[in-house]
Amino acid sequence: MPNNKPHPDQKYIEALLKNDTVLLAEIYDKFAPKVVGYIKKNSGDDSGAQDIIQETLITIYRQAKEKALQLTCPFDAYFFLLCKRKWLNELKKSSQKEVTINEEVVSINDESVRFAEETEIFNAKHELFTEMFDQLGKACKELLKVTFTIKSMEEVAQKLGQSYAYVRKKKSLCIGQLTQLVQNTPKFNQLKNML
Amino acid sequence: MTPEEKYELFEKFCSNELSINEKARLDKLISEDKTIEKELQLYKELHIHLDASFNLEKEQETLKANLKRIGDDHFAKIPKEKVVKEKTDKKNSGQTTKKPKVIKLPTWSYAVAASIAIIFGVYFFTQSNPTYNDFAAIPELSISERGVDEENVKNAENAFNKQNYAIAEKYLSLLVSKDPENAEYQFYYAISLLEQDKYSGASEVLEKLSQGNSVYRYKAIWFEALNQLKQKKYDQSAKLLKTLPKEAEDYNKAQELLKKLD
Repeated sequence: MPNNKPHPDQKYIEALLKNDTVLLAEIYDKFAPKVVGYIKKNSGDDSGAQDIIQETLITIYRQAKEKALQLTCPFDAYFFLLCKRKWLNELKKSSQKEVTINEEVVSINDESVRFAEETEIFNAKHELFTEMFDQLGKACKELLKVTFTIKSMEEVAQKLGQSYAYVRKKKSLCIGQLTQLVQNTPKFNQLKNML
Repeated sequence: MTPEEKYELFEKFCSNELSINEKARLDKLISEDKTIEKELQLYKELHIHLDASFNLEKEQETLKANLKRIGDDHFAKIPKEKVVKEKTDKKNSGQTTKKPKVIKLPTWSYAVAASIAIIFGVYFFTQSNPTYNDFAAIPELSISERGVDEENVKNAENAFNKQNYAIAEKYLSLLVSKDPENAEYQFYYAISLLEQDKYSGASEVLEKLSQGNSVYRYKAIWFEALNQLKQKKYDQSAKLLKTLPKEAEDYNKAQELLKKLD
């Protein structure tokens, strides 16, 4: 049963949003050792673990920023699951190293699994969006950059020497094209089915 | 409806610019065609994604750098505990411990190595540009006796004097926000930023200080010059150094640095 009250560990999500060094250091002290232990048992080392932890935290940060992530489960299991799967993916990518699947490091409840999956889907989409953006033409890329970094569309229009309506139309076509690109990938349909 | 019109409606929807008529039109489209609803959903997601990607870049980089630093600290701390743990683990599992390979060097090789190091040292010392570390003498922070906000003050002082600048920054930024006119807090806050290579943040605070009337106004110029030096912007640094008046505490050091920058 999903409940809607944020878990006290939501503070770690807030810490990522605020770049709060004290609490972020606490994340490393409290939750990194399990991840490090797991990675080392599975052909990894400290530096591999450090990278996985950092990448996972950045993914959580992005999700918190874009989707207002509200954790209703403990951070511990959620974070461990994410790091573990990320590491397994790394291993799969790099070689066929032997992997021990060890689920008993933390107690894992359904909600942690659900949250971890949501974050993974978010991350997969994120990667797909970035990949497809790269396929856009130069003109679209530049227009999108300008229209999103300069907040006032009037200012953008002035800068580009075009009318407001024209710039908005161009912008909508570029995002429309991106929408099409994403929709046409098989990966997107797989992701959709996971939801 | 053409795709152009559809996407324009989507765009207006995302930026809250739909007129009442347009909204009714979009609602009707969505209710008639589920694929359009899904497409709008994706369009919206892409809109948020692009917005975040373009605008969070800097914030995300700052977070990443901070995580790297915290991670480095964390992983530098563990080895001692872990060596002990690994040894006991191995004992328990009955495995044989691998002996580390040590290659002995003959004693004369140390002398050779040292001479080479000296030659390199002399070479680079005379060749290279002056660096931030040659000149930056970070003063000790001592503010706890004036405790208004005892805990934050003490934490700031401890962290700063232990050169734990990321944590010092956090507490000093709290103190600055509570007491924005306090030049001492501002100055040490700027130094904490500078020590973490947060150049533009440090510049902002130092510039403000240098335009004020506090005792820190010349110190602020000196450190802003060092800030520029740290970024290898030698001309900028020199320009600032020339503005330091004779009565400034760091005047002599500034002249020395100026000579090297020429």
